[in-house]
Amino acid sequence: MKAPSRFRTVFAKEVVDNLRDRRTLAAALFYPLLGPAMILLMIYAVGQITKRAEGPLQLPVRGAEHAPHLIAFLEQNHVAITDAPDYPEQAVSAGDVDLVLVIPDDFATSFSAGEPAFVQLIIDESRDEARTKVRRAELLLYGYGRQIGSLRLRLRGVNPSVGDAVVVDRVDVSTPQGQAARILGMAPYLILVSLFVGGMYLAIDSTAGERERGSLEPLLINPVKRSELVLGKAAAVLVFTTVALVETLVGLALILNYFPLEQYIGARMTLPPSALLSIFLICLPLMIFVVAVQMMIASYTKSFKEAQNYISLMLLIPAIPALIMAVLPVKESLWLVLLPTVGQQLFINQILRGEAVTGSYLVLGSVTTLGVGIALLVMVARRYRTEGILFR
Amino acid sequence: MIAFDGIHKSFGDVVALDGVSFRAEDGKITGLLGPNGAGKTTALRILYTVIDQDSGTATVDGFDTHRERQQVQKRIGALPDAHGLYPRLSSRENIRYFGQLHGLSGSELEGNIDELIGLLDMADIADRRTEGFSTGQRVKVAIARALVQKPQNVLLDEPTSGLDVPSTRAMREFIRRLRERGVCVLFSSHIMQEVAALCDEILVMSRGRLVAGGTPDELQRQTGKETLEDAFVTAIGSEEGLS
Repeated sequence: MKAPSRFRTVFAKEVVDNLRDRRTLAAALFYPLLGPAMILLMIYAVGQITKRAEGPLQLPVRGAEHAPHLIAFLEQNHVAITDAPDYPEQAVSAGDVDLVLVIPDDFATSFSAGEPAFVQLIIDESRDEARTKVRRAELLLYGYGRQIGSLRLRLRGVNPSVGDAVVVDRVDVSTPQGQAARILGMAPYLILVSLFVGGMYLAIDSTAGERERGSLEPLLINPVKRSELVLGKAAAVLVFTTVALVETLVGLALILNYFPLEQYIGARMTLPPSALLSIFLICLPLMIFVVAVQMMIASYTKSFKEAQNYISLMLLIPAIPALIMAVLPVKESLWLVLLPTVGQQLFINQILRGEAVTGSYLVLGSVTTLGVGIALLVMVARRYRTEGILFR
Repeated sequence: MIAFDGIHKSFGDVVALDGVSFRAEDGKITGLLGPNGAGKTTALRILYTVIDQDSGTATVDGFDTHRERQQVQKRIGALPDAHGLYPRLSSRENIRYFGQLHGLSGSELEGNIDELIGLLDMADIADRRTEGFSTGQRVKVAIARALVQKPQNVLLDEPTSGLDVPSTRAMREFIRRLRERGVCVLFSSHIMQEVAALCDEILVMSRGRLVAGGTPDELQRQTGKETLEDAFVTAIGSEEGLS
């Protein structure tokens, strides 16, 4: 029976060892699902807000009997009048109701006398989810006031449009598709996060962790080339990274292809298997890069904790372009696609939007990322050949 | 066979080894005795290839530890000062990993593992994960892991440090058995009685230099002292760091 190669021995040991580690397993199997879960949650939230805006407005009113005409106007405009709670202000600030309309006793007197008649709208400005309701109620009340005002002016023989010095005409061009695209704009970064998280613990455990628990020195005495050690460990990290990526991609595909998105954001987006495969292939050089960066960091840090801190910080660096891309439309340009992690985020974004990826950029970006990754791995192997790997 | 010729090694301004030469023969137990900081660990580390000397040559069975690192690694089994285990692997899996890294597999490997488990009296912990093991249990696994390929040369850095009395006796017995098999054993210790009881050859080190060397009888003769203990103290020039 032929002995397995040193590379395979190291690889197999790291995989088996880390499959028994709850932390590593959670990082590889559970965390990558958080990305798709987050997207699902946001779609749901957007859907709820839209739905609320379209249904009849539930408006608790106190003193409705003082203004039957106003109430009739509101009901004509899809407002369902309900009874107000006993203590409207407490109820709103506690969040039991979103808003309460209070019509005072003297409303009818002032109204009939042609004087300004006051109503109170009790709201909580700090609550975002109530904002659309409040806006609808305000617009209706304002509209009612203008309607009555116009009538009064006409009765006095004045053209009501005299009062309209400036007329604002709002044109809202936002579409449900636009909202969906904005949510999906997070996907490239979430994919990147899953790449970093999937193999992170293994990368640290097999380098900084190995030194911290004092098993590195005995390991280095074995007749194994240091490059074989590094490659075996890197391959194990790569496996966990791949699992995390596949999980995130499958999660995304399930949401986009099978979840009834149109019920929530009014639009349907699909991610065909070919797009999924393209994203996976785009991520291949990126995975090598990520594994190499993690092993590089972990081979220079003194402890598991220290390595973990630096690698977590590393995750924030690609977040900067991701955030910029989410807010501003970034045009692809050569220097951007050459940056590892940035280029891939751009490409994935283009695929998700169904746009064409420029072939030459894709090749250049992938080759650069892969090149940097391999160079980093060579540096890690060099580092393992020095005495420094043991003592710091 | 281990040979150390004119080895110098400094860490920054600190001279760890200052022209050290010695031989350790097959079938003999050679002890490196000296207080902490004498250079024992540095000498062993050069021999088991994790650090390089600044000048001089170190060889194992004629292979240079620097230029023919892998040849040396194939011929040695070493218990370093740091002997951490993989806590999520069982004792047997820890030992098997190192055996496989030495190119062993199948029945040869499993046979060697079983033999060591018997010799070190560790059947009760063989299939348990090593997390939470006592110092004695850890050292046993670390020794078995280092020797699973049945090396001709064995290097042990303070093998009895932290062990209780029964474990220490068992370890000494184990080292004697290695000698019976014709193995070249080189071990370091700062415990005089241990070195005196176990060694065929004693090398006394102090401040990076070899200050005396020979069989216990020769040492007593060289220093003109009645007891071996006095001989050590005379050789080192102080009692500091010995026990």
